[in-house]
Amino acid sequence: MSLILSSAPHVRSKDNTQRLMLNVIIALLPCVAAGIWYFGWQAALVVAVSTASAVAAEFVWQKLARQKVRVYDLSAVVTGLLLGLIVPPSAPWWMMVIGSVFAIVIVKQLFGGIGDNFLNPALAARALLLASWPALMTSGYNLGKFADATSAATPLLSGASCMDLLLGNVTGSIGETCKIAILLGFAYLVLTHTIRWEIPVLALATAALLGWILGTDPLTTVLSGGLLFGAVFMATDYVTSPMNWEARAMYAVGVGVITVLIRKYGSYPEGVTYAILLMNIAGPLFDRIPVHRIYGHTKAKKEGK
Amino acid sequence: MKTTFRGGVHPAHGSKRPTQALAIRDFVSDTVQIFMNMHIGAPSKPCVKKGDHVKVGQVIGEPVGGLGIPVHASVSGEVVAVDAIAGLTGDMAQCVTIKNDFQDEWEELHPLGNVEKVDPALILPAIKAAGICGMGGASFPTHVKLSIAPGKKCEYILANGAECETHITCDDRLMQENATRVVDGLRAAMRALNVSQGIIGIEDNKPAAIAAMEKACQGREGVRVQVLKTKYPQGGEKQLIKVLTGREVPSGGLPIDCGCVVLNVGTCAAIADAVIDGKPVVERVCTVTGAVRSPANLRLRIGTITEDIIGECGGFSTEPGKIFFGGAMTGMCLPNDQLPMTKSTNGIVAFTREEAVSAEEDPCIRCSKCVDACPIGLNPYDMKISADAEDWDACKKKHVMDCMLCGACAFICPARRWLTPSFKIAKQKIAEKAKKEAAAK
Amino acid sequence: MSDKKPNVGKVFLNGIINENPTFRLVLGTCPTLAVTTSAINGLGMGAAATFVLLGSNVVISALRKVIPDKVRIPAFIVVICMFVTIIQLVMQAFLPSLYEALGIFLPLIVVNCIILGRAEAFASKNPVVASAFDGLGMGVGFTLALTLIGCIRELLGNGSVFGINILGASYQPMLLMILPAGGFLVFGTLLGIINALTNRKKGDAK
Repeated sequence: MSLILSSAPHVRSKDNTQRLMLNVIIALLPCVAAGIWYFGWQAALVVAVSTASAVAAEFVWQKLARQKVRVYDLSAVVTGLLLGLIVPPSAPWWMMVIGSVFAIVIVKQLFGGIGDNFLNPALAARALLLASWPALMTSGYNLGKFADATSAATPLLSGASCMDLLLGNVTGSIGETCKIAILLGFAYLVLTHTIRWEIPVLALATAALLGWILGTDPLTTVLSGGLLFGAVFMATDYVTSPMNWEARAMYAVGVGVITVLIRKYGSYPEGVTYAILLMNIAGPLFDRIPVHRIYGHTKAKKEGK
Repeated sequence: MKTTFRGGVHPAHGSKRPTQALAIRDFVSDTVQIFMNMHIGAPSKPCVKKGDHVKVGQVIGEPVGGLGIPVHASVSGEVVAVDAIAGLTGDMAQCVTIKNDFQDEWEELHPLGNVEKVDPALILPAIKAAGICGMGGASFPTHVKLSIAPGKKCEYILANGAECETHITCDDRLMQENATRVVDGLRAAMRALNVSQGIIGIEDNKPAAIAAMEKACQGREGVRVQVLKTKYPQGGEKQLIKVLTGREVPSGGLPIDCGCVVLNVGTCAAIADAVIDGKPVVERVCTVTGAVRSPANLRLRIGTITEDIIGECGGFSTEPGKIFFGGAMTGMCLPNDQLPMTKSTNGIVAFTREEAVSAEEDPCIRCSKCVDACPIGLNPYDMKISADAEDWDACKKKHVMDCMLCGACAFICPARRWLTPSFKIAKQKIAEKAKKEAAAK
Repeated sequence: MSDKKPNVGKVFLNGIINENPTFRLVLGTCPTLAVTTSAINGLGMGAAATFVLLGSNVVISALRKVIPDKVRIPAFIVVICMFVTIIQLVMQAFLPSLYEALGIFLPLIVVNCIILGRAEAFASKNPVVASAFDGLGMGVGFTLALTLIGCIRELLGNGSVFGINILGASYQPMLLMILPAGGFLVFGTLLGIINALTNRKKGDAK
């Protein structure tokens, strides 16, 4: 009889990396469906191209760098899907390829691969595309159900009703318009314990509160633009959000505050992308603030550095 | 009201407790191997030799040093060997092998009688003479735990019936079947230390045990049952103190530093046996489950060999890939099935080949699940970075010494990282270094 | 201070390859990132720096035994300033558009660490001829690096190289590349590639 000798624990939870990523993919499906419903087949094409090129980029890079190919962990699929959902439905295919390759190779792999990227790859890629082709990234919404829309006004300025905002009957990036689909995804992620509810809820609450102080209806703040999508799917990214819950709370509040400040005083109509990217960078610093309570230590600070 | 602590995990095996409904039954094998180092502290000195005839309860190992406790024969019969064999950790230790003559001839016992009437001063010596050490797995000599250092005061004695480990149901069954004994033992300890409050903490997945214990507590002075939420590691000493008293054991300290003493319910029952009947520890309840044909809760003589126990349970259901003493979260693996169980073995679990294979380590994805799960409030992912770099000083700064190796972080980790084993090594390295430095001075 | 005669050919090549100021020593990154928005800017900046390096190396080397050790840095700066003023005035007279494009970074050559670095590390310890070749090699290495970065950024950000359209009219220029962030991206990526290649070469040699 040959027995395996190993150190405890002898059981592991069923959630492995691949399964968590699969949960995120499932949670994104309602957004994909809503995007296709509103914007037509071109939206499907955009999402498909970005996902496929993200996976291909990861595979090719890991082969070239002579690393273990980890495409099976599905993280590249998540990155590609996310990127596909935060661009306008008319985004050209080559732009999506550039964005995906940038996200995977430059932002993720060059910094050490899964778990070591300091920025959210999909958001960093969106920032790249927005800075490179601003015209293509802020227009081209009149597709599908909006084919007859005369203007391509950004959803923040169009003054749509809350019901339209909720259903997604407004123009915007493919995945961010239909709030119901996003909320479905959020519920799924929380119920499967994939993410914790604190970051999205705190970010949204902060944004609503600050927006209200600065004179915007809280409901409009939450439902317009990409705030909800960003708070649920981007700010909760494992790698780039802080580890301790105190730090996560500060991070979420920061996302809300910066979003509203950019919307209100910045030159960009929407600030979620930059708010989250800035907080990605600040996150590790929040983790260093010694507020985390350790059992048996009377003051967390006392025993620190 | 159910109370709980921050952090923790829910190991799936904890909810399925197939042996919960199985009554304890006795099993006596024809050979026992009794180790002299079953407790923490200096190993006892064998005081019998090959060919001697021993009775049940006869002292076969004499205590050595301040932490020492005697070791008793668990069956009557002939001593066939006194030699050093490899124990669970692979270290050689003295071991007495006794061939059972099935006469069950007992050594003369010295009962003290009713725990409520006995002279409190006699309780502690009786506990020591009975060779009682922590039955929950830690195997710390109980009389030492109950000897309060001058200047410290014990205000609570907590009976640990949480049994948060996976697979194990021996405490559950013990509380269901011998509730009065557990309460007697707790009362004896309370009287010995002149403590007025005794709390028995039980997780809410053991309703039968809760009912039995509540009934047994009726009319007894100062003892009560507190229902706890089912969550691992609810039965960790530090967590139990926190939820039952709201106090915290200071970092690097002992429970007594916050006025508490924690006793496993099995230990309580052993104390009752020692006081009421004068009976030393010669048997204990042990759950045998996993890949065996008929899982069971067995009352085993100390030193029963694993192979015999598995045989009593109908043998393996499939070829085993791993056998361990204890639950799946903290259990110790057996190199083979020839090792005997000890005073602290609360369970024997066999895993099939498929269950036994451990997954490969993936890169950390910083999901922070380990941070949320840590019942102490540590940052396991961060300590692991330092441990992988073998930077033990950095590990210490990150409070690895506060880690109690509960395994919650390693359980929850989606990247299957070997968090707990790394911390075990780190703790050993840091302790070794501290010892060296102390020796240098 | 050794006055051993170094091999001038080796000294010259050293500046271009082994000790390339941009990719190996990572010196003078401020102009590297700031002015390389087009190939011509990179080339112009490189040429100006080369002129200053050559001139200052020669003069400092010639004066190396005269300059008191304690005030050598101010003395070096004065020499460098002289050449920077010359190139600035010449450029303003004959290449006004390039002068405009380089802007503040032209006078800032004074504090460029490559120039002061070579004066301190090489010219103040070596004879005139060797110092001249060192300055020339360093300058050419710097120029090549800046021109390379400039070419890449101009190609991606404008579809052209040296003002000649290459990628055609249908190319949608990638604006980011001529923004500062693009400079960091190209510079960092090139550094990474060069490091990876040299590491691989070293590994093969072993």
